[in-house]
Amino acid sequence: MASNDAEYSPGFWGWLNKRLPVGKFMREQLLEYYAPKNFNVWYFFGSLALVVLVMQLFSGIFLTMFYKVGETTSFDSVEFIMREVNYGWLLRYLHSVGASAFFVVIYLHMYRALMYGSYKAPRELLWLFGMFIYLALMAEAFMGYVLPWGNMSYWAAQVIINIFGTIPVIGPGLVEWIRGDYGVADATLNRFFSLHVVAIPLVLLLLVALHLVALREVGSNNPDGIEIKAHRGADGKPLDGIPFHPYYTVKDIVGIGLFLTLFAVVVFFVPTFGNLFLEEANFEPANPLSTPEPIAPAWYFTPFYAILRAIPNQRLGALLLLIAVMAFFFLPWLDRSPVRSIRYRGWWFRGFLAVFTISFGALMWLGLKPVTVAYVNAARVFSVGYFAFFLLMPWYSRWDRVKPVPDRVRFHE
Amino acid sequence: MTDAEASADQELVDADRRKFLTAATSATAAVGVVFAASPFIASWQPSERARALGAPVTVDLSKLEAGQMIMPVWRRQPIYVFRRPPELVAQLAAHDARLKDPKSLDSEQPAYAMNERRSRRDDIAVLIGVCTHLGCLPKQRFEPGDAQLGTDWPGGFLCPCHGSRFDLAGRVFNGSPASVNLRIPPYSFPTENTLVIGEDGTNAASGAA
Amino acid sequence: MNKSALIAAALLGAACSLGVAAQEPAAPAAETVPWETWQAGNEVSNVASLQRGFRNFMNYCAGCHSMKYVRYSRVATDLKIPTGMLKADLLPDGAAPADYIHASLQGQDGVAWFGKEPPDLSLIARSLGVDKSYRFLKTFYLDPSRPTRTNNLVLDAAAMPAVLSDLEGVKAAVFRDVKVTVDGRTMTEKKFDHFVTVVPGRMSGPEFDAFLRDTVNFLDYAGEPAQVDRRSIGVWVVLFLLVFTWFAWLLKQEYWKDVH
Repeated sequence: MASNDAEYSPGFWGWLNKRLPVGKFMREQLLEYYAPKNFNVWYFFGSLALVVLVMQLFSGIFLTMFYKVGETTSFDSVEFIMREVNYGWLLRYLHSVGASAFFVVIYLHMYRALMYGSYKAPRELLWLFGMFIYLALMAEAFMGYVLPWGNMSYWAAQVIINIFGTIPVIGPGLVEWIRGDYGVADATLNRFFSLHVVAIPLVLLLLVALHLVALREVGSNNPDGIEIKAHRGADGKPLDGIPFHPYYTVKDIVGIGLFLTLFAVVVFFVPTFGNLFLEEANFEPANPLSTPEPIAPAWYFTPFYAILRAIPNQRLGALLLLIAVMAFFFLPWLDRSPVRSIRYRGWWFRGFLAVFTISFGALMWLGLKPVTVAYVNAARVFSVGYFAFFLLMPWYSRWDRVKPVPDRVRFHE
Repeated sequence: MTDAEASADQELVDADRRKFLTAATSATAAVGVVFAASPFIASWQPSERARALGAPVTVDLSKLEAGQMIMPVWRRQPIYVFRRPPELVAQLAAHDARLKDPKSLDSEQPAYAMNERRSRRDDIAVLIGVCTHLGCLPKQRFEPGDAQLGTDWPGGFLCPCHGSRFDLAGRVFNGSPASVNLRIPPYSFPTENTLVIGEDGTNAASGAA
Repeated sequence: MNKSALIAAALLGAACSLGVAAQEPAAPAAETVPWETWQAGNEVSNVASLQRGFRNFMNYCAGCHSMKYVRYSRVATDLKIPTGMLKADLLPDGAAPADYIHASLQGQDGVAWFGKEPPDLSLIARSLGVDKSYRFLKTFYLDPSRPTRTNNLVLDAAAMPAVLSDLEGVKAAVFRDVKVTVDGRTMTEKKFDHFVTVVPGRMSGPEFDAFLRDTVNFLDYAGEPAQVDRRSIGVWVVLFLLVFTWFAWLLKQEYWKDVH
């Protein structure tokens, strides 16, 4: 007993740590966790995603204190928040701009993984947890957008729920089950509220925790794609690693400061961001008799929406939309390259990734536009560029002439 | 100076600079957190709708008979407005010994209500009808002499929850669980027969009290 | 011919040609009036303009259009209108300062008289936009085929009559035929060319534009009353964050000296 006590510091800290391993946890996760020392700008987005998550939780919790869910009350309560709740306008803009910021950060976070092969073994499960977070986030954003019950809220719900109607056999029944009524109605709004405020945030928190535990287990990848644990010093620590604290805590704080600055510029000066973050049509109450024109989902969904509209067959379009999202799940197994990072890959991979990037951006732009012959044709072309990246990967990743991978990290190419 | 000493010096300088920069960054962050928290905390203050609904209430007194009480609501509280019979008003000074706070020194009321009648006028009483013990609505017992309250009962209020008793000026009797007199809202009489609750020409009435 | 006669003839000739030139109509406008690019040019921080706009709204719009999310008292506070003036000059009969702005026109009458209920205008500046609202108010023209005898370039077959024609005057629209190709098919469309004044209004062109600018400015404010505060707070927030980021950067540089 006495010798056990001697291991703990005196006072409250010692009392606490004997009962809950707070100090041990902090030491292991911050001081004894060694991360590669060559992280570049692409490695900020994980911590930024956590910051945005916390911000959405706080602003969302406070919004829920004033928002009144219901067909007849939702829209009015949002205007009540904007006009009559002290700083309500700020709560609202933090949340609406935060939602878009979440997707900016997440897409950049995912892109880092594509460039540096962070999804490859032994990090496949880490990647899968991340993909599940992405799916949960899409559901969360979709449902959140319905809550103000503006005209775009209503019609976005109508269109996206109808996509589920294309599933063979169970489609129509499923749509009615999701809606809880014969059309998008109060029942739909109410259940979306519950899912958005309680269920999906809990799922998200769980997935983020699993994502971080998985990361801790395998360690971070790095821009060179080499395993830093392969070369250890006399003290057992990776030669190319540095303790997460203080080096990456201090570096991430700079990233957070820069991000918050940009974020504040948007929130305080251009919160609607040229009709992209808060659409004009949503400042009119939901009207089942009048579809807004043009109708488009939020910008972060439009690449997939463009793919859906490019296919003349409704069922096939929905199927391709599904494949477009699910393709990411298979990346760890589609990629047959012996090399992780783009720095040491050949020109096949670089070419296909470039085409994919351009296609994704073009599809995002096209998804916001109305349907014309020219735009649909363009969307078809870029859909090919999008799918080619995944479908042909088993071959071009093997054909690629890779460069020799160094033993130790380098800071740039 | 040897190399070892020089580098030791170097490290010393570094540590100080690090402490300073850490302190500066942390202090700025702390200030930022306080500023960031303030809109969230401020959002809990009564909204503009609450303040609008808390606007002054106008009451017409022309139909109010002696011994009759009406109960308008102001800022979600019941306000007891009643016309005291003149003979009972005169007796208000008689039972000071039975009261816990006859001069209203510990109780809450505007300056113009800090008198024996606890009101601006003899005839009209305006009280907040919330028992100062635990918040129930006291019931009116205006008739002097009462089987339940005793033959020396001068008229007033009996709270049904725990038995606190108040006189016609809202002052609390000895032996009641409540310790202070009934509270008085701000009010004024723009005309002889009009009462405005919530407005008395001072700023106290218009704040988000 | 002597010199003076020559000079006189030259001067007379010059005067005639000038006179002729003066009588000739100015060269016809070859370009269409670019009404789709008109901008309101309003400034929400201009309180005097907002005050005039609010007065205009109460005089010309509040008869039919409500602003159900806007309180009179809030407008008075934000626009620095004293309560006395609000009650005396701007508040309709029976309304209290804390009330929301409700139109005099009651629900079913709007449908009966105009075919549809005049929409609430609290958010029109955010859903239709400030510039489009400005253009809407500026492009009413004479159209005998409509029940209101007017039509509108922004909202074709608008149910709203030209309520400002007293101030602006009455104008007719001149259209011209134009060939248009859509998805491979060529059609002839009537495209607006320019306006012609039929009856002049009480205000001149620039006066009316200023009137509209003030009114639309008020609509802009009413759409988001917090916007002026938002921007001014934003300046401080961004400055603070820049300072914080700079400190954090210095801290990071200091620690990263260890890493090579």
